[in-house]
Amino acid sequence: MSNYKCLFLYSGLMIISFCLASCIQNDDQAVPQASNTANEPVHYPHNQSQPPSWLPDREDGQWTMPAKNYASTRYSGLDQINSENVKDLKVAWTFSTGLTPGHEAAPVFVEDTLYVVTPYPNAVYALTLDGSKKWEYKPDTHQESQGLACCDVVNRGMVYAEGKLFFNTLDNHAIALDAKNGKELWKTKVGDLKRGETMTMAPLVVKGKMLVGNSGGEMGVRGWLKALDTKTGELLWTAYSTGPDKEVLIGKDFKPFYSQDQGENLGVASWPPDLWKIGGGTVWGWLSYDPELDLIYYGTGNPGPWNPDIRPGDNKWTLTVFARRPDDGSAIWAYQIEPHDLYDYDGVNESLLLDLPVNGEKRKVLVRPERNGHVYVMDRTSGEVLSASTYVPVNVTEGVDLKTGQLRKVKDKQPGTNKTVHNICPAAPGGKDWQPSAYSPRTGLIYLPHNNLCMDMHGTQANYIAGTPYVGSDVKMFAGPGGHRGVYTAWDPVAGRKVWNIEESFPVWSGTMATAGDVVFYGTMDRWFKAIDAKTGKLLWKYRVGSGIVGQPVTFQDKNGKQYVAIFSGVGGWSGAIVSGGLDARDGTAALGFANAMKDLSQHTDKGGQLYVFSLP
Amino acid sequence: MFSPFHNMAWLAIVPIWLTLTGCEDQAALRTVDDPPSQSLTRMVEFGPGTEEPSKTPHPYINNRHAINEGKRLFSWFNCAGCHANGGGGMGPPLIDSHWIYGSKPENIFASIMEGRPNGMPAFQGKVSEQEVWKIVAYVRSLGGLDEDLPAGATSRPLQDKAESDLREGEIP
Amino acid sequence: MSLPWRKKLNFSMAFHCQLPITVFLALPAHANQSALQPAGPLAAAIANLFWGMMIGGGLILTAVLAMLTIGLLKARRTAKPRHLTFIQSRNLVIISGVVIPSIILTVFVVSSAAVNRDIVAPMPKNALTVKVTGHQWWWEVNYLDTEGKYIARTANEIRIPVGKPVRISLESSDVIHSFWIPKLNGKTDMIPGKTNLTWVQADKPGSYRGQCTEFCGKQHAKMAFVVDAVPEEEFETWLRQQGQPAREPMTEKEAQGKQVFLGSSCVMCHAIRGTSALASVAPDLTHIGSRKTLAAGSMENMPGTLASWILSPQSFKPGSHMPATALTGEDLGNLVEYLLSLE
Repeated sequence: MSNYKCLFLYSGLMIISFCLASCIQNDDQAVPQASNTANEPVHYPHNQSQPPSWLPDREDGQWTMPAKNYASTRYSGLDQINSENVKDLKVAWTFSTGLTPGHEAAPVFVEDTLYVVTPYPNAVYALTLDGSKKWEYKPDTHQESQGLACCDVVNRGMVYAEGKLFFNTLDNHAIALDAKNGKELWKTKVGDLKRGETMTMAPLVVKGKMLVGNSGGEMGVRGWLKALDTKTGELLWTAYSTGPDKEVLIGKDFKPFYSQDQGENLGVASWPPDLWKIGGGTVWGWLSYDPELDLIYYGTGNPGPWNPDIRPGDNKWTLTVFARRPDDGSAIWAYQIEPHDLYDYDGVNESLLLDLPVNGEKRKVLVRPERNGHVYVMDRTSGEVLSASTYVPVNVTEGVDLKTGQLRKVKDKQPGTNKTVHNICPAAPGGKDWQPSAYSPRTGLIYLPHNNLCMDMHGTQANYIAGTPYVGSDVKMFAGPGGHRGVYTAWDPVAGRKVWNIEESFPVWSGTMATAGDVVFYGTMDRWFKAIDAKTGKLLWKYRVGSGIVGQPVTFQDKNGKQYVAIFSGVGGWSGAIVSGGLDARDGTAALGFANAMKDLSQHTDKGGQLYVFSLP
Repeated sequence: MFSPFHNMAWLAIVPIWLTLTGCEDQAALRTVDDPPSQSLTRMVEFGPGTEEPSKTPHPYINNRHAINEGKRLFSWFNCAGCHANGGGGMGPPLIDSHWIYGSKPENIFASIMEGRPNGMPAFQGKVSEQEVWKIVAYVRSLGGLDEDLPAGATSRPLQDKAESDLREGEIP
Repeated sequence: MSLPWRKKLNFSMAFHCQLPITVFLALPAHANQSALQPAGPLAAAIANLFWGMMIGGGLILTAVLAMLTIGLLKARRTAKPRHLTFIQSRNLVIISGVVIPSIILTVFVVSSAAVNRDIVAPMPKNALTVKVTGHQWWWEVNYLDTEGKYIARTANEIRIPVGKPVRISLESSDVIHSFWIPKLNGKTDMIPGKTNLTWVQADKPGSYRGQCTEFCGKQHAKMAFVVDAVPEEEFETWLRQQGQPAREPMTEKEAQGKQVFLGSSCVMCHAIRGTSALASVAPDLTHIGSRKTLAAGSMENMPGTLASWILSPQSFKPGSHMPATALTGEDLGNLVEYLLSLE
C-alpha cells in the first residue's frame, strides 16, 4: 500500500514541478530598451550634411528612377506644393490596374508621360497627365513564377534612360521598351525559375548598363548582380554573391577595410561544402552609384536557409555591402554587415550617398538604415564604418565595434534546430525592410518609413529541393515595445539619433519622398496617404485611398509648372500578404510569421491596385 | 484500495490495446492499390451522369498513423514552406473553407500530383502515391474536413496559441 | 499494515537477480559489440568498474550465503538460540547494517563517479569533432572543423584515427535516441534541441559496432552503426576523400544511373554533392560506394542488397521512412551501378 502512496505523491510532485517550470518559462518577456533619447526639441541649425557635390542642383521636374537620382535621396527640388498649401491637395485622377497583389512600384515621369509597372504579370502603362492611356505593354510572364516569390508577387519599379524604359519581370526577364510607343526593344532571360529564382527589384542604369539582381533567398537560390548592355540586352558580366573569388568578381583591386573580410575564396571557405551554391545572398534591393568615384553600391540578402545551424561559418558574401566598378563588375571593397546571419536580416536596403562631417572632418559617406536596427554611416571610398546607431529597439546585438566592424551578438538569442527563442527584436523584416527612405538637404534629415516588430523563432529541419522553399524556421511576429507596428522617423545622420517620429498602427511599408516645399509624403497600410511637415513632423494633410499603401510616392511637374504627387495604392508585399494572398490568420506562422502580427489588417483594407495622382486645384 | 484482481484486469487491457494500435499502424503501411484517381477529378460538375455511386474513401483518410506520417512529409517536402502550418504564405491557406481546386480527397491528391497553374508544382514522379495520400489525409485533418482529428496530428493547438499571441500592447 | 521484510526481500531479490541478467546481457552476441572486451580507455574504465562491482558484489553474496549456511547448520545443532544483549544486537546492526554497507557503497559510488567524470572530461581544443545526429532510424555523421563547419558528411559509419581522443557531439532531429559503442564508450542520450558531448578513443585498429539504446520507434532495433578505427594517415586520406564532391560518372551506365537518380523521387530526400540533389532528410549519398552497410547497419552494401533495398525497403525495414521506388530493371541496374561507383 505504501508503495502506491509513494507513487502518487511522487507523480503529484512531478506535475507540480512541471507546472512551476513552465510558468517560469512563460514569464520571460523582457522588454528591449530603446536606445534613442525620446522627443527632444527639433535641433537647428542644420547638421551640415549635404548631398554629394556631383549631384546637380537644378531640378528638372522629372522622376526617372525610383530613387530619383544616383545618390538615392528621393528628394525633389519642386516646391509648388509646400507646407502652407499642401492641405489643399486634391485628387487629379486615378487609374486602376485591375490587379490584387501588392503594388510596391514607384511611378516614373518623363517629360509629359507617367509610366507605371504593375506587380505580376508586370504590365506597363504609359499615361498622359490627364490620365488617359497612351500605350500599354503586357509581357507573357510565366504563371508558375507566382509560386516562387517569397513575399507576394511585387515589382519595385522601372528606370527611364536613353529614351527607353528598363524593368524586370517576375519570371526573370529583363526588358527594355521604347518609351515613345511601348515597343519591346529587347528581352533577356537572366534567371531560372526551376532553381527558385524570381525578380522583383527595380534595376539601375549606369554607363550604358542595366544592373539587375535576383530574388529568392527563401528558395535556396544563389544571389547575383548582372549587367546587361542597354542597347542590345546582352549579358556583360555576372557578380555572384557566394562562391569562389573568380565568380564573385573579386580580383587584385579588392581592398576590404576589415580583416574579417580579407582572404581568398571566402565565399567558399566560409560555408560547409557546397552550401554556397544554395546559400542565398540575393540582390533584390536598391543600388546607388557614385559617378565621381565610379562605384556602384548595393547590399546582398540573407543566407539560406534561415535556420543558422544548417550553415555554420560566416556565410560570405551574404548580408554584405559591395562597392563595384560598373565597367566590369570588379569588387573594390566589401563589408559584411553581419557574418552568419541568424534572423533573416537581408542587407539589401538603400544606400544614401551623402557628404557629412564626422568628427569635424567632411567625409564622403553612404548611409544605410539596416534591417538589423542600426543606421550605418560608412566611408564610401573605403568601406569603413564611421557610426552605427540603433533606430528601433534591438535586443539581439549590443552595438557595432567600430574598430573591428563586428556586431556584438547576444548569445542567448541564437536560434537553432529544435530550439525556440522568444522575443527577438527586431523581427525578420527588420527595423526597416525594402521600403526606401529619403533625404532632404534642406533639413539635413533622413526620413525613415519603418517597422516596430519583434518575433519568436523556432528552428526546424530544412530540406533542399530545387524550386521549393528552403527556410527551416517557424516564426511568429508581434508588435514591438509600445504596441505600434510601424514608425515614421526623421533621423539625423550626423548625430546618429532621431529628431521626431510618428507612430503608426501598421508597419509603414511604403516608401517616402522629400520635397523642397518642406513636405514629406508616405502611405500607411490602413489606407492613408499622408503629408508631413519635414521640420516638425506635424501631419499637414491626409487622404483615404482605396487600399492600403505599400508603394513609393513620387513628385513631378508638367510643362506649365504644375506640380503633381503620385502613388500606388494596393496592399500586399510580405506584410500585406495576409490580405492580398487571402491567408488564414489563425495560423500565426503564415506568410513566414508575418500573419501573426497582421491579424487585424483585413478590418482596415482590402486588396486592389490603383494609381492616385494629386495636385493643387 | 486496490484488490489484486483489479491489478490483473489492468494488465489484461495492455496487450489488447497494443494489438489494436498495432492493427492501425499495419493498415496504414499496407500497400493500397488505388484506381488512378485523376479520372475522378472534376473541377466543375455538369448534368449528365453525375450520380456517382458512393465511394469508400481511401483507407488513409481518417487514419491516425497516416495523418501523422502526412504531417512529417508535409514538412519534409517543403509543403510548409508555402502553406505554412495551414495558414498559407506563398501558397493559399489550407485551414479555411475556401478550396480553389476542390477539397475532396481526390481533388487534393490531383492538386499535389499534377500541380496547379499559379505556382503549385507537380509532385508526380517525385513523391510516391502512398505518400501523397498520407499528405492528403493530413491536409484534410488540418482543415477540419475529417471528423477524426487526433491530438497532435493537426496544427490546431498552434493556431489557438497564435490567436492569443499579439502580446505587446493593444492594437487600436 | 507494514511488512518490513517484504521490502528487504524485494531489494535482495532485485540485487541477486540483477547480476546474472547483467552478465547475460553483457556477454557478447557480437564479439565487436561487447562491453566486456573494451578497446578504448573509456570502455576499459567502465569494464573495470563492472568487474569491480561484480567481484565486490560476488564476495558479499558469498559471505552472506556462507553466514546463512553456518547459521542454519548451527541452528539445527543447538536447540536453544543464544540471545544477544541489547548492546550486542545494537552493535551488530550498526556495524553490519550501517558501517560496512556505507564503506562498500562509498567505494562503489566514488569509483563510479570517477568514471562518470572521465566520460564528460573536457577535450583538448584541437581534438577532432564528429557531430552525430540521430534520425528515425539512421545516424547522420558530420566531421567538423574548429569553426564548427562540417568538412565531410556521411551516415551510419564513423571512422576515427587510432589512439586519439575524438570529441563526439550528439544531437537528435526527432525523438530521443542514445549513442553507444559498447567496446569504446558508455551510453549518451541524444535529445532534440540539445547538444550532448562525449568522446571515444580506440586503442587498436578494428571495427566496432554501435547501436541506438533508447527506444525510438518501430525500427529502433535496426538502428546500428559501425565505428572503424584506422591508422591516422589512412584516416586523413579517407577524410579528405569524403570531403570531395561526388565523382562524375565514368561509364555510359553510370551516367544513365545519375539521370535516374536526379529524375526520380531520390532527390526529395537524399543529397549527392556535386549534383543539384542537396536534400538532407535522409543519408547523404555522396560517397555511398565506400560504405560497408545499408539502412543503418541492417545489411551489407552490395549491388544485390542495394537494388532490393531501393525496390522494397519496407520488406527489410517495415516502417522505415524510405518509400518503395518503382523502377524498370534497366534503370535500377544503372542506378545501382552509379551509386556504388560513388566511392
